[in-house]
Amino acid sequence: MPIRRKRSSPTSDDPRNKKAKVSNWSRRNELENDFSTKRCIAWFHEYTDTDEDVLGPEGMEKFCEDIGVEPENIVMLCLAWKLDAKAMGFFTKAEWLKGMTEIQCDSISKLQGRLEYLRSMLDDPVHFKNIYRYAYDFARNKDQRSMDVETAKAMLGLLLGKHWPLFGSFHQFIEQSKYKVINKDQWCNILEFSRSILPDLSNYDEDGAWPVLLDEFVEWYRENKSMSS
Amino acid sequence: MMLFGFRVSNAFVPIDGTLSREDELVSLFVRKIGILNTRTGRCTLRLSYRGPVALNWATSNDAGDYIVKKSNSDGVIATGSYSHMIARNSFELADFKDVQNKSDRNNNQHQKPSEDFSLIQNGSTTVEEVSNGNSRKELDLEARAARRKQIEDFFTDPVIPTAEESISTMLGKFSAALWDKDFMREVYEYRRLPRPPARGLAPLSYEWLTLNTYSGLMQSIEQETPGDSQEEAGIVQTQDTETVDLSDQLQGSEEFDLCSKDQQKSEHRTSWFVRLFCCGATSSPKKVKQEKETKSKGFLSQDEQKLDGDENRKKRKLSEGISPPNHKRARENIDESQMTDSQRRANFSAISSPSNGLNKHVSPLANNKPGATKKLVIKNFREKPRLPENFQQQTWEKLKESVEAIQRSTSIRWSLEELYQAVENMCSHKMSAQLYDQLKEVCDKHVRCNVEQIFACLYCKFFLTFFTENVGFEQFLKNVDGCWQAHCRQMIMIRSIFLFLDRTYVLQTSSVMSIWDMGLELFRTHVMFHPLVQKRTVDGILQLIKRERTGEAVDRQLIKSLLRMLSDLQMYVDAFEHSFLEATESLYAAEGQQLMQERDVPEYLAYVDKRLHEEMERLLHYLDMSTKKPLVSCVEKQLLEKHLTQILQKGLDQLLTENRIKDLTLMYQLFSRVKDGLKEMCTAFATYIKVTGKTIVMNPDNDAEKDKDMVQNLLDFKDKMDNVIDVCLSKNEKFVNALKESFETFINQRQNKPAELIAKYVDTKLKAGNKEATEEELERLMDKIMVLFRFIHGKDVFEAFYKKDLAKRLLVGKSASVDAEKSMLSKLKQECGAAFTSKLEGMFKDMECSKDFNLSFKQHMQHVDSPGGIEMTVNILTMGYWPTYTPMEVHLPASMVKLQEIFKTFFYSKHSGKKLQWQSTLGHCVLKAKFAGGEKKELQVSLFQTLCLLLFNDGDEFSFEEIKTATAIEDGELKRTLQSLACGKARVLLKNPKGKDVENGDKFLFNGGFKHKLCRIKINQIQMKETPEENTTTTERVFQDRQYQVDAAIVRIMKTRKTLTHNLLISELYNQLKFPVKPADLKKRIESLIDRDYMERDKENQNQYHYVA
Repeated sequence: MPIRRKRSSPTSDDPRNKKAKVSNWSRRNELENDFSTKRCIAWFHEYTDTDEDVLGPEGMEKFCEDIGVEPENIVMLCLAWKLDAKAMGFFTKAEWLKGMTEIQCDSISKLQGRLEYLRSMLDDPVHFKNIYRYAYDFARNKDQRSMDVETAKAMLGLLLGKHWPLFGSFHQFIEQSKYKVINKDQWCNILEFSRSILPDLSNYDEDGAWPVLLDEFVEWYRENKSMSS
Repeated sequence: MMLFGFRVSNAFVPIDGTLSREDELVSLFVRKIGILNTRTGRCTLRLSYRGPVALNWATSNDAGDYIVKKSNSDGVIATGSYSHMIARNSFELADFKDVQNKSDRNNNQHQKPSEDFSLIQNGSTTVEEVSNGNSRKELDLEARAARRKQIEDFFTDPVIPTAEESISTMLGKFSAALWDKDFMREVYEYRRLPRPPARGLAPLSYEWLTLNTYSGLMQSIEQETPGDSQEEAGIVQTQDTETVDLSDQLQGSEEFDLCSKDQQKSEHRTSWFVRLFCCGATSSPKKVKQEKETKSKGFLSQDEQKLDGDENRKKRKLSEGISPPNHKRARENIDESQMTDSQRRANFSAISSPSNGLNKHVSPLANNKPGATKKLVIKNFREKPRLPENFQQQTWEKLKESVEAIQRSTSIRWSLEELYQAVENMCSHKMSAQLYDQLKEVCDKHVRCNVEQIFACLYCKFFLTFFTENVGFEQFLKNVDGCWQAHCRQMIMIRSIFLFLDRTYVLQTSSVMSIWDMGLELFRTHVMFHPLVQKRTVDGILQLIKRERTGEAVDRQLIKSLLRMLSDLQMYVDAFEHSFLEATESLYAAEGQQLMQERDVPEYLAYVDKRLHEEMERLLHYLDMSTKKPLVSCVEKQLLEKHLTQILQKGLDQLLTENRIKDLTLMYQLFSRVKDGLKEMCTAFATYIKVTGKTIVMNPDNDAEKDKDMVQNLLDFKDKMDNVIDVCLSKNEKFVNALKESFETFINQRQNKPAELIAKYVDTKLKAGNKEATEEELERLMDKIMVLFRFIHGKDVFEAFYKKDLAKRLLVGKSASVDAEKSMLSKLKQECGAAFTSKLEGMFKDMECSKDFNLSFKQHMQHVDSPGGIEMTVNILTMGYWPTYTPMEVHLPASMVKLQEIFKTFFYSKHSGKKLQWQSTLGHCVLKAKFAGGEKKELQVSLFQTLCLLLFNDGDEFSFEEIKTATAIEDGELKRTLQSLACGKARVLLKNPKGKDVENGDKFLFNGGFKHKLCRIKINQIQMKETPEENTTTTERVFQDRQYQVDAAIVRIMKTRKTLTHNLLISELYNQLKFPVKPADLKKRIESLIDRDYMERDKENQNQYHYVA
């Protein structure tokens, strides 16, 4: 298809493409609105060696720069979730293609336009829960079953830091505790805990199914509070 | 046999009149029995018959009362009084008495009663009419019907069982006679019918006696004595033998037929007749009463209407005209209509006695003579009775005077019988209502007087109060009592006189009360309802009771009498019981409160028991039994229920601690009386056990000395409590359960330690050298221990320690007896199942196998070249069965290693799949040693000790470090070993420098001058202080085992349930796990299983788990 061929050639040259977009607005707009797998793959290879199928940390850095987002921004987590990336700092070609097709992005500008949408995912509890659960597998060291405490703290800060009033205390608790790793069950329950338990812990049920980690946290928190007060 | 003596003045037997039942009875008597001594104007009717029947006889006393007895042995069944006939009819009382005495004597003299009572028949053939057979048959049928009616009537007599008795007695006697059978059948058939309810029975005896007050009418009764009979007097002559003959002879005669049948019948019923007469005084069916009524009315109307003319004829006509009310009458009427007038006349005239004059003087003894034949002639009225002028007034005056005399307790001018007749006459002349009112008025007046009397006494009391209060109220009570007793006496007397009034007018008029009730009512309204009297009386009684309660002796009889009075007046509940209970309550409330404070519990309990006992006695002696329940519950409430908690708090612990069996028993008995008493006691009992047990079990400082005695203390405590339950608490199920629960609670309050101590306790008992117990004692002790063991939750802890100790016993061969071990094992097996003991059993099995294997090894050794002088015995222990021992690598001497190798090859040749691991820590050896002076000793030492000692074969002095490198024994172990050799009792080594503890750098010398009196010396390895290391490892191992058990349980549960909420899972786990676990521990295990992907948490509901296959 001639149109396709035309379209594919400017993608390789980004600045020119932009100029063209400005000069021929209406047509370009229409053309660029359509999602092109080819363009998407080409975009992927901008960050990798041509025959490589994995976008590595270096490419990732460049990618972040291009779309104007810091790597530790939570949007990147959302994106990773959308791409269903298996490991932090890496995108495979398959993941890239599948995820970008889903959000209909084949260029930086398109993705930049989508970022707000991705960010809004976090406000939806169901999506957030999925992102949260995804984050565990995404962030953990693939050699271990559990996530080490340092990563966990960072991830929790990223995910819950703004919404959970007790995060500070919890962070402190983890710091002083003997826990080295957080397992998935604990991880998932922390979210539940942050959602259902009031900041004063008044509705916490010790006989409930909460993991011992949280039992201990509550105990510690109450003790600390009574000591400080 | 003279049974019944009666006299009928001017006996009137209206055979031809309208016959009511009473008339008929009279006539039956007259016909069948004997009538003598008829004179113009008076007549004596004596009834007598012979027979084996129970004796019924009557006596009379001077006052005119009569007493009828069923037999001499029986009590009086009826008493009454009848007016003296003598007074009016100039008949001597003495005569009557005489007759009676005679008859009594005759009773005795007749040793052999003839078969039947004799028929009184006099010239019957000439007198009696012979009627044709047909009519007789008809009559017979009718007579049967009538008889049936009679039976019915008799049975309306409420005192039927006695009649039945006599029926049965007689049935035996007369079963031969068909008629009797029929009759009996009728009687029995009738008995099955429902009977009308019995009401009072009128005094028939009076009735028919006084029928004849109209003296103008008279009948003569004649009796002829056949043969050479000496009888002259009017005594009924009964002849047994002739009866049958006569009745045979006279079968044609209708009259006689009837008569004889009646006679036979009456023979059966004689006792009933008499009963009827007698019982009449007390009660009578309404029907009878009504009959009487009609009868007497009939007579009256006759008398009034037909004053002139032929009375007999008129009367007969009249009576025939009046339709008979029942069958009997009908029968009589028909009976009569069959007879012609002349016959009747002849009959009557024939009966009239020619020997009146004589009869009077003849001794009643003649009675006995057999063969006498009697005849009864009843004459009609000769003149019409007339009511005297002023009859009512005069009679009343008379009665009033008598009543007043009774009330004054003075003698009465008239005979009682006369008075009775007067009453009856008045009643008969329709003056009943007036009479009743007048009587009531008189009584009323008198009772009012009574009040005044009592008041007089009260006033008197007011004066007396100034001096002696106590005497005052007691006197008052006595007065009231006296007044009441007098009233009762008087009312009984008055009622007797006015009995007829009572039985007729009062019974028929529902609005008036019977005379007795009227008396009660008057007494109640005038005396007891008087507020002052009532108050005084009740207060007085209460005062007396109060005094008795304080321990004084009081007149119980007086209280009883007064309380009886109150209940008779139906004031007991309202006036007395209420205030009595109130007084009781307040008394015991105060007393209970006070004594609870003052006395200690056993004393208090004894006091409560005493009080309850006293109250029961009070109930027995004078209180009404209806008071029992409220009174007892009142006392129980005030003395026990209110103080339950206090008693238990104050006393139970003390009693239990001091083991006061008696007091505890009493406490249990008392507490079981009150509601919730036992429940409270049980709770307190449980609390006591928990608290006491806790002090035994708990040991916050972990004081070993205290722990040592814990099990023994527990056993003693359990024994004590068991004893208490057995003896004092009557093995009450509740308490037994409470005991179990409490033990379980407190024993498990301290984790693991009790289980460990119990295991160790068993160990000390089962160890060899423990000779303090025989096998039986040991067995019993183990049973007790098993009871304690049952309470323990952490049975795995027990098992671990028991196993450890058992291993020691087995390996060192210290076990006292294999039987005891086995029995303990079987007990454990019984308690906890085979799984629990399988390892322990495995240990025993290992020991046995090793024995066999060693034998075969010894045989094998004979063919093998072995390093000389060493014998070896090996115990092969299966890994899982025995406690885990950490293997310790040491340097063994080459000869020993060689021996081990030989054994190993031999073993593998037998058991190829197994692996051997040498446990050097458990080995022990016997060494032969030569000391200076040539002393040869055998040293029994452990393997480690052996290794150290063997070094000294090569030199005399070694340093600690040298020994360590040579033997490779671990530091601490080596120190202990050398300590035992150089610092113990038997010092085969010398240490340089000297000291108790072995330090690094110490040197050890062979003690050449070692001396010991024994040849074989056992040098004990210094035991590692068992706690805390060994202890903690054992405990830890137990916990580790528990973790696996928990994991297994969780997976088991989840596998069956697939999905389960957290709480359900936890509760299920608690059901399955037999040891105590904290929920947090369970959670940890759950999380661990989630982590290991055995299960997962529900994504939405964090409280729910899913099983992951």
